[in-house]
Amino acid sequence: MPDPEKRFAEEWRNAAYNCFSSGHKFCREVCPVMQVTRNESWSPTAFHANVVAMEKGELEVADVAADYVNCTGCGACELRCPNSLFTGDFYRFRTRTVDLVKAVRGLAVSQGVHQPGWQRWNLLTDERRHEPVLNGTPVDQARVRDWADGLDLPIGGETILFVDCEAAFYRTSVPRSVARILNLAGYKFGLMNEQWCCGGPAAEMGYEEQARRFAQHNLDDWRAAGVRRVLVLDPHDYITFTEDYPKYFGDAYDIEIVLVVELLAELIREGRLTPHVPVERTVTYHDPCRLNKRKGVWREPREILRAIPGLTFHDVDRVTQWSYCSGGGGGLPVEKPELTAKISEHRVEKAAELGVDTLVSACPWSERPLSEAGRARSIDVVDLHELLAESLGVAP
Amino acid sequence: MTVLLGDPVLEELRQILGPEHVLTGKADRLNRARVPAPFPVHRWAERMPDLVVLPASTEEVAEVLRLANSLRIPVVPRDGGTGLTDGAVPLRGGIVVDVKRINQIKEIDLDNRTCTVGTGINALKLNEVIARHGLIYPDDPASYPCSLVGGRIGTSGWSLIGSRYGHTRDLVLSFDHVLPTGRVIHVGDGIGRKITKSSSGYQLKHLFMGHQGTLGIATEATLKLFPKPEAELSPFWAFEDYDSAYRAVGALARAGVATFAGAVLFDEWKVDYLRRDDEAYIPQPSSVKALVCAAMYGYEDEVRAGGRRLLRIARSLGARYLGDEISEGDWAARHDRYATPLHGRTRSGQVVPMSWHCEDASINYTNLPAVRLAWHEIADRLRRESDVFDDWGMFAYTNGATGADYLTEIDIGIWEQRLDDAAWEAWVRAKRDLAAVTLAHGGSISACHGSCREGEVDLVPVELGGGYDVMLDIKRAIDPNNIMNPGKYLLDQAYAEKS
Repeated sequence: MPDPEKRFAEEWRNAAYNCFSSGHKFCREVCPVMQVTRNESWSPTAFHANVVAMEKGELEVADVAADYVNCTGCGACELRCPNSLFTGDFYRFRTRTVDLVKAVRGLAVSQGVHQPGWQRWNLLTDERRHEPVLNGTPVDQARVRDWADGLDLPIGGETILFVDCEAAFYRTSVPRSVARILNLAGYKFGLMNEQWCCGGPAAEMGYEEQARRFAQHNLDDWRAAGVRRVLVLDPHDYITFTEDYPKYFGDAYDIEIVLVVELLAELIREGRLTPHVPVERTVTYHDPCRLNKRKGVWREPREILRAIPGLTFHDVDRVTQWSYCSGGGGGLPVEKPELTAKISEHRVEKAAELGVDTLVSACPWSERPLSEAGRARSIDVVDLHELLAESLGVAP
Repeated sequence: MTVLLGDPVLEELRQILGPEHVLTGKADRLNRARVPAPFPVHRWAERMPDLVVLPASTEEVAEVLRLANSLRIPVVPRDGGTGLTDGAVPLRGGIVVDVKRINQIKEIDLDNRTCTVGTGINALKLNEVIARHGLIYPDDPASYPCSLVGGRIGTSGWSLIGSRYGHTRDLVLSFDHVLPTGRVIHVGDGIGRKITKSSSGYQLKHLFMGHQGTLGIATEATLKLFPKPEAELSPFWAFEDYDSAYRAVGALARAGVATFAGAVLFDEWKVDYLRRDDEAYIPQPSSVKALVCAAMYGYEDEVRAGGRRLLRIARSLGARYLGDEISEGDWAARHDRYATPLHGRTRSGQVVPMSWHCEDASINYTNLPAVRLAWHEIADRLRRESDVFDDWGMFAYTNGATGADYLTEIDIGIWEQRLDDAAWEAWVRAKRDLAAVTLAHGGSISACHGSCREGEVDLVPVELGGGYDVMLDIKRAIDPNNIMNPGKYLLDQAYAEKS
């Protein structure tokens, strides 16, 4: 066995056995990939069992790297695992399938085992410093602030708004809505001086060196501009800034990260924002995996929805939503768009069962696949921030 | 003998199923060899299939079996792979037929209160759908969140709340079954899919349940549904000694309360296990040596009345009610309790990841105390032999409204990271001894999991007596070429006799 694989198996050995030994596999039926493919090789428990097999010399990373594409990083499996539910708090040994998947992908890349879509995507991202979000859309540093044209936002300052690539180049009405709402509330913030991709997706696909390089650039840029606080509207960025960056920079990382959804709920609670324009829609809410499942943020989006007059809100409880996902995360749409589409169809089907006309999300990355699936069922997919802007009477 | 599959077979399977549904990768095969049963992980590679197929219909399963039968290739069906008796583990290589894609809900019949589903569906997922109609499919094994209907048929599983609604054998009304030759039959009571009683002919439904994949593959099943219970009551009671708890559980089971869904008796070792660092379990005073819980399901007014009666009975026998919060929490956690590898302890008390292995039997109420002592002695011997083993205590569940016999299980933790041939041999020996105790007390080796694992399987012919010879005759008649799950239940003997 090559040394890096040996070290890897050693590091993940106990975690893998904790899953392997836990008998029944409750994660399987909540896994979005498993739900649509029914292929057990792509289940969270198989991802752990493979490590046991690697440790026993039965498998090498090259044998399994392609299997590990089939994960959106949603984290449902971790929540459903009896190890997390029962002993995680006591031993701090909660099941960490998402990290394991990232680690295997990283190991594969470090061994020169690439997935063609991911390799191409990371090359392009490295070239342009931003993710190639849409074919033909000019994606580069020169255009990263185009979304804010005419909003008259300053650059730099103590608080800045970080806008992910999808929202900055494609879903531009989302950051525009956020900016207008914050202006309305009198909340001061600026834009980044030179904003690169957060590096999170590269890290998820196993391209760790690139991810760290991008992170370093962004942190340097923040420090140079005296930034103390970063507002984040994208759940994926929120994970990257609160989990990856502290891992890269350790104690030296002293930036406060604020999730926009939480901030907006607070502003409504304090009476600094009062939604008043009725929005006549029958909606349900799609909990973005990285908010509900990974970060436990599920109350605030509901608070915002309940504050909007005119809405009929058919909620699905957050625990049921553990088994929902848009399929848009973890690099899956880059390598297996057809699988992302299936997962989105499955999600929209659940919404359709509630008799709604609109599915509200709070994650720019979920909206493209969900909208695609929604069209087939005449269900609108709208962003929570945009919906709030509408009810506050501030057009994007 | 491992059958090496040549390319023509692979090509033909790809034609039948589509290339993406024929898996040959090593990880695909390793992951289809694995179940939570006692598993010699150090010899994992010996249990691998040659390939895996993922059919989507009864017809595809039939074609695969026809091909396998004509070429004498072993076939092992796999559903959830959560069985505790190795049914889904290939012993001779061959083809694993993984039915998880056959998971559609074909019909929900609100008037006759049945539904027809592909056997690859999970009961929890099914219940999410039928809950909208106010209905429930009440099959409730420990593996409820991930086992599949087909696996429940293949193992004829027992269910925790079966005293109220019936077990898998009662809840599955009928099903399509692919015979080893590829022929498709429909078994159930009567010709209709939704008949529950029939005295016409042999009772074939039961023959094709619990065969552990040795007689074919179930693909589409019609299930009996019930009104989703309006109320649930699950009181937990503490006792200062096992004998009082034992008397109480018997009295509860014999009370004849209509909403009674089951009762569970936890012995001292089990209480100790539950106390281990498990924050969801609210600590009990050290004087608590045994626990009993009962579960009732039904309408609010009938559950409340039945509950009062059971609470009265328990109190009169020295029970201390643990309160609503503990009771409801512990009952809600019943499926997750088993799978906590960090409850493993070496003799010095070191925490190590052990897996839960459950040895079960059906034991008459009067024999429970004697079996309990004999079984713990065997567990104690294992523990003295090696740190690989831990005694996680015993459960006894009522097995029917009468409470005549109980599903009785002892749970053994096994530290798989340290398994080697010697430890594995000790384990197999222990299982044989546990089964022997069962037979010596007039019980059945297994009440719900099946008994085809190494060790205990040796005693199956003893338990069945002349019935085992009939089993051999049936196997030979239905599976002339011994392709279905060969090696299980010692059924190779059927073919040795023939030659």
